[in-house]
Amino acid sequence: MYAFELERPTTLADAIKALGGEEAQPLSGGQTLIPTLKQRLAMPSTLVSLTGIDELKGIKNEGGTLTIGGATCHADVAKDGSYPALSDLAGHIGDPHVRNRGTIGGSLANNDPSACYPAAALASGATIVTNNREIAADNYFTGLFETALDEGEIITAVKFPIPEKAAYVKFEQPASRFALVGVFVTKGANGVRVAVTGASEGGVFRWTEAEEALSSNFAPSALEGLSVPADGMIGDLHGTPEYRAHLVGVITKRAVMKAG
Amino acid sequence: MSMGKPLPHDSAPMHVTGAARYIDDIPVPADCLHLAFGLSHVARGVISSMDLTAVRTAPGVVRVITAADLPGVNDISSAAHDEPLLAPGEVHYHGQPIFLVVATSHRLAREAAAKAEVVIDPKPAILTIDDAVAVRSYFEGGPLTWKRGDVDPAMAKADTIIEGKIEIGGQEHFYLEGQISLASPQDNGDMVLATSTQHPTEIQHKVAEALGTPFHAVRVETRRMGGGFGGKESQGNALAIACAVAAHLTGKPCKMRYDRDDDMIITGKRHDFRIAYKAGVDAKGKLVAVEFDQYVRCGWSQDLSLPVADRAMLHADNAYFIPNIRITSHRMKTNTCSATAFRGFGGPQGMVGIERVMDHMAHRLGMDPLEFRQANFYKKSKPQETPYGQPVKGFILPDLVRQLADTANYKTRRDAIRTWNEKSPILKKGIALTPVKFGISFTLTHLNQAGALVNVYADGSVTINHGGTEMGQGLFQKVAQVAAGEFGIDMGRVRITATDTGKVPNTSATAASSGSDLNGMAVKNAVDQIKDRIARFLAVDGVKPKDVLFADGKVTAGNTVLSFEEAAKMAHENRISLSATGFYATPDISWDRTIGKGHPFYYFAHGAAITEVVIDTLTGENKILRVDILHDVGQSLNPAVDVGQIEGGFVQGAGWLTTEELVWDDKGVLRTHAPSTYKIPACSDRPDVFNVALWNGENHVPTIYRSKAVGEPPLMLGISALMALSDAVGACGEAYPNLSAPATPERVYMAAKKVGAKR
Repeated sequence: MYAFELERPTTLADAIKALGGEEAQPLSGGQTLIPTLKQRLAMPSTLVSLTGIDELKGIKNEGGTLTIGGATCHADVAKDGSYPALSDLAGHIGDPHVRNRGTIGGSLANNDPSACYPAAALASGATIVTNNREIAADNYFTGLFETALDEGEIITAVKFPIPEKAAYVKFEQPASRFALVGVFVTKGANGVRVAVTGASEGGVFRWTEAEEALSSNFAPSALEGLSVPADGMIGDLHGTPEYRAHLVGVITKRAVMKAG
Repeated sequence: MSMGKPLPHDSAPMHVTGAARYIDDIPVPADCLHLAFGLSHVARGVISSMDLTAVRTAPGVVRVITAADLPGVNDISSAAHDEPLLAPGEVHYHGQPIFLVVATSHRLAREAAAKAEVVIDPKPAILTIDDAVAVRSYFEGGPLTWKRGDVDPAMAKADTIIEGKIEIGGQEHFYLEGQISLASPQDNGDMVLATSTQHPTEIQHKVAEALGTPFHAVRVETRRMGGGFGGKESQGNALAIACAVAAHLTGKPCKMRYDRDDDMIITGKRHDFRIAYKAGVDAKGKLVAVEFDQYVRCGWSQDLSLPVADRAMLHADNAYFIPNIRITSHRMKTNTCSATAFRGFGGPQGMVGIERVMDHMAHRLGMDPLEFRQANFYKKSKPQETPYGQPVKGFILPDLVRQLADTANYKTRRDAIRTWNEKSPILKKGIALTPVKFGISFTLTHLNQAGALVNVYADGSVTINHGGTEMGQGLFQKVAQVAAGEFGIDMGRVRITATDTGKVPNTSATAASSGSDLNGMAVKNAVDQIKDRIARFLAVDGVKPKDVLFADGKVTAGNTVLSFEEAAKMAHENRISLSATGFYATPDISWDRTIGKGHPFYYFAHGAAITEVVIDTLTGENKILRVDILHDVGQSLNPAVDVGQIEGGFVQGAGWLTTEELVWDDKGVLRTHAPSTYKIPACSDRPDVFNVALWNGENHVPTIYRSKAVGEPPLMLGISALMALSDAVGACGEAYPNLSAPATPERVYMAAKKVGAKR
């Protein structure tokens, strides 16, 4: 780890101001950033902690929309329960340590291809709220570890319309328990949405073919014969592109079955 | 009487409270220095330039040592002298140590090491078995073949012939305590080391060689290891020598431990194998001929690869009589870490080869694999010879397997599984019983010896010391039980002391499952001498020394009854020596490895396991549902310790063949160097139903209390997990699954898909 200054603002305004400094970087739960710093893969001069800002925390359920503050940890989302599939997802991220430190804003800002939250946001048609705008999930995830966020822009909240039916199923890589393939399906006002994490070289994506099939018949059998091409899937030490492509089909069926 | 009691491990309370001292817990002097290696970042090449200026000037750095700075021999190998401590100009694997940093802390040493600018001109690296075969990169110039009978004509006459091959992955030891050493300089340039090693004597010898001193100038102490599994037989040499050399050059104590990633990258692992086979049976389903080609990926240096590959050949028969057999062993030299000893020492790979043949042939013949195995067992009544000419005596597997199959309802469950599978299109269950016959003794005959030192103090308390090392397996407790039992005293009177080359010299590694056999006997020999002296002293008034009894904390000589402490005190006051060294050499063994004939093993240890699994054919996910084991430890020295070894052995063996996958990339970089990428079985992965029983019997040869070795054999019980998965995959269709190891979900899925497609 290289030396850095740590700012701990208590208001959003102070945080934005601090982030205006040269090579300043926001620090949320630190579950990815701190290991990255330890590996000396990043060298920010200042870290601006977001976890001391009350207005970034908390969960509100109003008019069928669940609004979660950007600095809310996974364990709090897991406990909430008003969007059961989302709470289920949050309750199975990493381990207790990760769940009590890691935050939803941090996870979405980082957009790790194996992270769980991006699938939830995309499949729910969530809105990513930042300090200066609102971004629809469909426009937010732009690639591996890449998002529509500008430099210095931070996620203040995420708004999830609570769907009629939803479920998340992940196939865990047995050693790290990261998602080798994770699928979040929803059925609600926005129709059927299917988002896949862990599998693609482009990060989280919507499987539109499956969405169409499930729109007319929300049942695993509707997916019979559908598959995603192996081309563009991640191939690494934990699985081939062909295996991941195959798992996308199986795990989507499981998610649909779980959503009921 | 302490013998045969299920006493807990002597350090169990200390293990769970954290009070047990490992090397890193030993307080070090304030001026202690810490070491880190700088490693090669290419698999093969020539060092064209090495700029260590930034390393030398980094904070806390006291000294930087390269090959040219070493005071003595630059070698860490067990025997072959082909493994430099620091690469002298050429590098042979990714992760090979090139230079050594000596700094004021572990962290500063590591940070400094990362600052080196080393330029290596890469050369084409030989990474895989295929690469090595293509350029004939062999140890010993070419393959080694052992045979019996005449395979080709026998095969030609066979009624049914199968051919195939299986890939068997390697395995990381994953001892919880990583490699570590601490060296302290003494008067006259002598060196004392505390080392986490299974082989203190080898550390002593190699350190002496590196310092250019006689063996007597180096003393090595090992109280306990946090796991060894063979990974601390030779792999501790580098750290111990590095510490000793740095301590010699700086005059200060030096300590070195590897971080986990470095530990996994630098040190050797279980050899991965490819075994190609051809086997024939006659019309009655009896094996008539088997041919094996065992391809062994040895890595860049010889280390223990020759005896490991030999042991794989020696277990190519497992429990079966094969009249005509040819085993060819290809020991391939590759630019990967030097594969080393790992629990079973090649035996498990050889055994997987023949068990694969049994599974494949039974499938071809449409027979129950168990019945096919039983039909080909060595005969119990009239000892038949192994392919290497040793009569298989005391062979209990026919009875043991029958008993296990009966008590675990093998046949009923197998039938039930068949019925269940017919109604279950997606989930498929499988069941398999595999036997183990494992040869006990070092194949290098002279290693089969042990020494001990037993002291009785004037207050009747006793210390024991021997050449064996404690790595969690319970050796010390078993040997203490021998001493307490022989003296007829409570366990509380016997203190177990750290293995120390200054107390018992010229010892062998604690390996080959031999710890209790050898050291138990050596301690008994020492105890017998002391008892004999006390008995002769007390045997007066017509009492014969042999009639003096040591039991229940008392020494009884005719009408004289003394407490053990009174006897000790009296003996001391009458100038009777109460200290003795003991010795043991295993009888009846001989071996010629060049022709593959002899009597390499004193006896065989046996066992069998039935594993039931379920697989999801859509994903390959799988789970062990139930395991039943019946294992032969002869007359158990300690049933609690033995059952622990059997449970752990099975889990480690099943882990090797199912979840533990080592992945090197096409540059020869090990990509699985942490628990985040390499999956060892955790406590939650053990089978939900796990029935382990000990075979009721005694060793047919006179080992210590007729017990049997238990360290390695149970690992091979895990082979039943692979064969059960094969059985489950086979339920998807007609074709043989051809499942390789480790049978990860992806491999199980692909195999099930292939078998299903051929339906």
